[in-house]
Amino acid sequence: MSGWGKKRESSNGSSREEDKLIVTPLGAGNEVGRSCVYMSYKGKTILFDCGIHPAYSGMAALPYFDEIDPSTVDVLLITHFHLDHAASLPYFLEKTTFRGRVFMTYATKAIYKLLLSDFVKVSKVSVEDMLYDEHDINRSMDKIEVIDFHQTVEVNGIRFWCYTAGHVLGAAMFMVDIAGVRVLYTGDYSREEDRHLRAAEIPQFSPDVCIIESTYGVQHHQPRHTREKRFTDVIHATISQGGRVLIPAYALGRAQELLLILDEYWANHPELQNIPIYYASPLAKKCLTVYETYTLSMNDRIQNAKSNPFSFKHVSALSSIEVFKDVGPSVVMASPGGLQSGLSRQLFDIWCSDKKNACVLPGFVVEGTLAKTIINEPKEVTLMNGLTSPLNMQVHYISFSAHADSAQTSAFLEELNPPNIILVHGEANEMGRLKQKLMTQFADRNTKILTPKNCQSVEMYFNSQKMAKTIGKLAEKTPQVGETVSGLLVKKGFSYQIMAPDDLHVFSQLSTANITQRITIPYSAAFNVLLHRLKQIYESVEQSVDEESGVPTLQVHECVTVKHESEKHISLHWTSDPISDMISDSIVALILNINRDIPKIMDESDAIKIEEENEKKAEKVMIALLVSLFGEVKVGENGKLIINVDGNVAELNKESGEVESENEGLKERVKTAFRRIQSSVKPIPLSASVYFVS
Amino acid sequence: MGTSVQVKPLCGVYNENPLSYLVSIDGFNFLVDCGWNDHFDPSLLQPLSRVASTIDAVLLSHADTLHLGALPYAMKQLGLSAPVFSTEPVYRLGLLTMYDQYLSRKQVSEFDLFSLDDIDSAFQSVTRLTYSQNHHFSGKGEGVVIAPHVAGHLLGGTVWKITKDGEDVIYAVDFNHRKERHLNGTVLGSFVRPAVLITDAYNALNNQPYRRQKDKEFGDILKKTLRAGGNVLLPVDTAGRVLELILMLESYWADENLNYPIYFLTYVASSTIDYVKSFLEWMSDSIAKSFEKTRENIFLLKYVSLLINKSELDNAPDGPKVVLASMASLEAGFSHDIFVEWGNDVKNLVLFTERGQFATLARMLQADPPPKAVKVVVSKRVPLVGEELIAYEEEQNRIKKEALKASLMKEEESKTSHGADNTTSDPMVIDSGNNHTSPEVAGPRGGGYRDIFIDGFVSPSTSVAPMFPCYENTLEWDDFGEVINPDDYVIKDEDMDHTVMHIGGDINGKLEESAASLILDTKPSKVVSDERTVQVRCPLVYMDFEGRSDGRSIKNILSHVAPLKLVLVHGSAEATEHLKQHCLKHVCPHVYAPQIDETIDVTSDLCAYKVQLSEKLMSNVLFKKLGDYEIAWVDAVVGKTENDMLSLLPVSGAAPPHKSVLVGDLKLADIKQFLSSKGVQVEFAGGALRCGEYVTLRKVGDASQKGGGSGAQQIVIEGPLCEDYYKIRDYLYSQFYLL
Repeated sequence: MSGWGKKRESSNGSSREEDKLIVTPLGAGNEVGRSCVYMSYKGKTILFDCGIHPAYSGMAALPYFDEIDPSTVDVLLITHFHLDHAASLPYFLEKTTFRGRVFMTYATKAIYKLLLSDFVKVSKVSVEDMLYDEHDINRSMDKIEVIDFHQTVEVNGIRFWCYTAGHVLGAAMFMVDIAGVRVLYTGDYSREEDRHLRAAEIPQFSPDVCIIESTYGVQHHQPRHTREKRFTDVIHATISQGGRVLIPAYALGRAQELLLILDEYWANHPELQNIPIYYASPLAKKCLTVYETYTLSMNDRIQNAKSNPFSFKHVSALSSIEVFKDVGPSVVMASPGGLQSGLSRQLFDIWCSDKKNACVLPGFVVEGTLAKTIINEPKEVTLMNGLTSPLNMQVHYISFSAHADSAQTSAFLEELNPPNIILVHGEANEMGRLKQKLMTQFADRNTKILTPKNCQSVEMYFNSQKMAKTIGKLAEKTPQVGETVSGLLVKKGFSYQIMAPDDLHVFSQLSTANITQRITIPYSAAFNVLLHRLKQIYESVEQSVDEESGVPTLQVHECVTVKHESEKHISLHWTSDPISDMISDSIVALILNINRDIPKIMDESDAIKIEEENEKKAEKVMIALLVSLFGEVKVGENGKLIINVDGNVAELNKESGEVESENEGLKERVKTAFRRIQSSVKPIPLSASVYFVS
Repeated sequence: MGTSVQVKPLCGVYNENPLSYLVSIDGFNFLVDCGWNDHFDPSLLQPLSRVASTIDAVLLSHADTLHLGALPYAMKQLGLSAPVFSTEPVYRLGLLTMYDQYLSRKQVSEFDLFSLDDIDSAFQSVTRLTYSQNHHFSGKGEGVVIAPHVAGHLLGGTVWKITKDGEDVIYAVDFNHRKERHLNGTVLGSFVRPAVLITDAYNALNNQPYRRQKDKEFGDILKKTLRAGGNVLLPVDTAGRVLELILMLESYWADENLNYPIYFLTYVASSTIDYVKSFLEWMSDSIAKSFEKTRENIFLLKYVSLLINKSELDNAPDGPKVVLASMASLEAGFSHDIFVEWGNDVKNLVLFTERGQFATLARMLQADPPPKAVKVVVSKRVPLVGEELIAYEEEQNRIKKEALKASLMKEEESKTSHGADNTTSDPMVIDSGNNHTSPEVAGPRGGGYRDIFIDGFVSPSTSVAPMFPCYENTLEWDDFGEVINPDDYVIKDEDMDHTVMHIGGDINGKLEESAASLILDTKPSKVVSDERTVQVRCPLVYMDFEGRSDGRSIKNILSHVAPLKLVLVHGSAEATEHLKQHCLKHVCPHVYAPQIDETIDVTSDLCAYKVQLSEKLMSNVLFKKLGDYEIAWVDAVVGKTENDMLSLLPVSGAAPPHKSVLVGDLKLADIKQFLSSKGVQVEFAGGALRCGEYVTLRKVGDASQKGGGSGAQQIVIEGPLCEDYYKIRDYLYSQFYLL
């Protein structure tokens, strides 16, 4: 019974383990950049996003992949194409042991490739620091599968689907359902509809855990119209003074929105139309068809538009700084948005010392980049060539970034009302403030709000009730309390069904089988001898005659049929199952015995010889067993066995079993040992006793 | 007991009439498909009209007339008011198909069954879903989940899966398992053992040649005709199979370097292609992949020009050309006119790519041998002139006056009713609610929205019918005076956008205007028809590009899906009977082919109840893994939980013995491979597997019918008593799980 108890205890422990949901940020925990969140529940593992940190380069920019075993990850879900959400994907797919499946939306996949190829080309790191190359990206494309908004996909019992997130084209929020426990990962999202994107949807179901971005902490965005006005005013003012406007922006995403604003503003202000707007991104040009095609994920305004709003009338493309004629006022939008390197930095270096010029930072600026530095308007900045230069140009920070602000986040969470909230993708301070705010908001509810750091695991327990559906013949009558139910329990994914074996093929793709065995054995003795012997062993032996061939048959134990096929052969028929197999084996043995017994005549001397041999064998075995028990065992002069254990000596008469020893303890033990060995080595006493006594 | 399921065909059984069926799941009534044919014969909709008001939801499967043609009429005339569900392409292309139908009809007849407004308002109630999106009903249909899946026949074409309590009812008509240029094959094969499958027998007797061969013949016959200086007419549907044909022509023209012009002529050709361009998500994997690589939209057509007007075709340079024109039935539309023009020239070719609808001109021409001459009605809409015009105007004035009088009277009535208490004003409230659809009243902004509304793919919610203006601003009063509607004071975003951004609304104003002008213009016009006989001298060819699975594949798919119950609809009596007999023998024992208005009950005779698996029981269950499944034997005692659920608890004491079960699916070929990998000599001999020298392994009994019989596989192992026998038996056992 103790064994039972133990087993139950340990299994209870493991089921507790099974109910544990773990969420670990491998990146974006108390920081912005390298989004990567690990989640595991019921043995299923999911990774959300796979980004890099834009402020670092090489391996340092990766999320902490060492914390996990990539080969255990079942599904990897990418929310959108931004580098801090997707750029370590080629590395993870090609350079680690990851063998799971990757999903992203159509638009994300189309842009992902362009963006990453560009990233590889632009990032100026030494060859050994390169995380991956163009080939890795191309190979990764074959492994990435696409998912449409709202489409439900199931992989190994993990069900997931995505909602519009509103952040950039193709941005998605993923809802994952494992055994009824739902986790929502928002990625970057925005609840505000803009010129081309829809606002993020509010999921139909409330999740049990919501992993949500906290980029803007407790800040509030200005209303869209105000922001747009500030933006256009700054630009208008600068160029009318003869200055130049630099807008460092990520190539895709916000840039399209800003260009829509500028193009429209230019169209409404004919006096500006001789001022060029340059968009220095060949990449964006390449992505134009993607924007034209995947309009289904944009808002109705774009879908119903007559002409394509992304073919700008007043914006021209600029391929590199060499072809840029810097004469007079102009507006240049260039990537990257953080001014780390590239064209935006080159122009910044040229323009930063002139106070007529302006730099408009339109998006979120990441900690550690030059853009973040100049927001605080330092007196001097370090140029690319290492020299310092005074910073005279005006710096404006007008956030167009399509991240939810505090008001949107609260409203979103209020609507969903998840019992667990995990904040990611936010600087520690902002995140802390948002946490405080949410704590007050959810004070009256039993809501947990967590802000794990990178590699810090959050554990939650969800006690899921396992429900089964009993179907088919087994369910013809609903049983009363106390009755028993016996049947096959079939589990697929996380759903259980109980059914009768006959119904298995009806309700699943599995099928059952019957194996009929037929074995022929040479047998020349009379059939009745067999019958006689079988009757001695088995309760039920029925005689009959085979209908087809007319040969006599015996039905043994209602499962094995013995047929007397001919003078020389008999055959056995039965349907496989453990008991029938055993019976048939015993019948086979019996038949073989009969075959051997009948004609056997044995020489007497041979018989004695055999007996002697048996005796010797038994003795050998006995000595060997004693040696294994006591160690040193010798055969004494009088044929007795002398056992020596640490100086204590015992003498054993192997015929009678008497033991002589000064040590009582040893004596008893040897006696017991001998008795046991005797009972196992020697034949069963009834006949043996006669033997030995004589 | 299981979920109750009833099927009642409303149209389209034992013949090729349009599809329309009523499926009730536990009292929740689905209308699956709402089709009409090119004759627009209201008598076909008789059965629908009897049940229209009881319908709770409408599911549309394909964007052609046969599947959704009756929707506007049913919504307007038959009292159908349920929400409609379809995929995005079915919604968009269905709308265009209906526009095309209407415009073609209106051009040649006084078509009054429904108007463009009716089409718009019918499609306004469509909820759009993506493939594999689960939509959960609430309220009456609580627990019912619907999900569209790829059908493979037309863009956005849908196999509907309706689920309740884990039981699936699948509606799959006109599916295509073959992957084509622009579409993936259907995923029907991935559904296994649904409770009910409703499918069609349309193609049960057809068998198709290989695609490559067919494509080549298609190209060659076109080339031959064009080289000989003839024109080719392809009568096509508005926005369905024509897409595949266009891609096929594009690639053939590119491969062969041809420069004969190709025209795609329907009233909505350019908007069709515009929309299709943004439907890449719904197309085949190869299209999505090539777009990711080259970022070139495959529907940016290089060889095919889009026309929306016959005069454009007439203005096109002379010389051989290919014209794809709607309708496929030749009953109306541009194809009809072109056929009349080209039919008597022996150089020309009319190439049918689908079987014409029953009793249409196309079907007549497809007969073997083709008729020498056909009678056609050629109609034309001409503006009224002279006396007719005057008569018309007088008539209009009279109507106007009457309307005015009526509205005045109404106003009177309303005034008097307002004097009384609030309850009497109720009818007025309803009346003003109806303004959206009732043609009597036009709002002040009606004129401004008219263009948008005419072309309108999404008519704004504020839109009203452009009709005789009548201001019926009844004021509502309460204790505080006039009731203020806050909406009146909100500046509508939509309005701003239209004015400021210039991109809202009018999508294809660039197209139909000219075509539609005659119809929509207030300019009075009439239809002039005369009957003509066309001598059919040009060759007529029929090649099957319908994109439906052929008979053989249908049978294969059905026996793979192996539904517990099967309902056959849509298809000639002969085909239906043929498929029914086949399925009874090979698929499942419950095959139904109901008649119109015959309700059949396909409730599964399954019994089921739910139990909770207690933690104690589960901790002692050892699962064995078999493919996707995990399986175990349980013996349990029934108990109750706190909230009165049945729960299973472990049996105290020893479990009763049970007959052992071998689980597994044995294929002789697999075991052959397995045995030879274990060093056993194996070969097939007379249907049995000879293992080693003496032992043979056989499978007996008919395992092909999954639904009936005991279902267990019968395997026989035979041999003399020898070591090999036991060895091979052990190997055989290793292929199964013993429970």
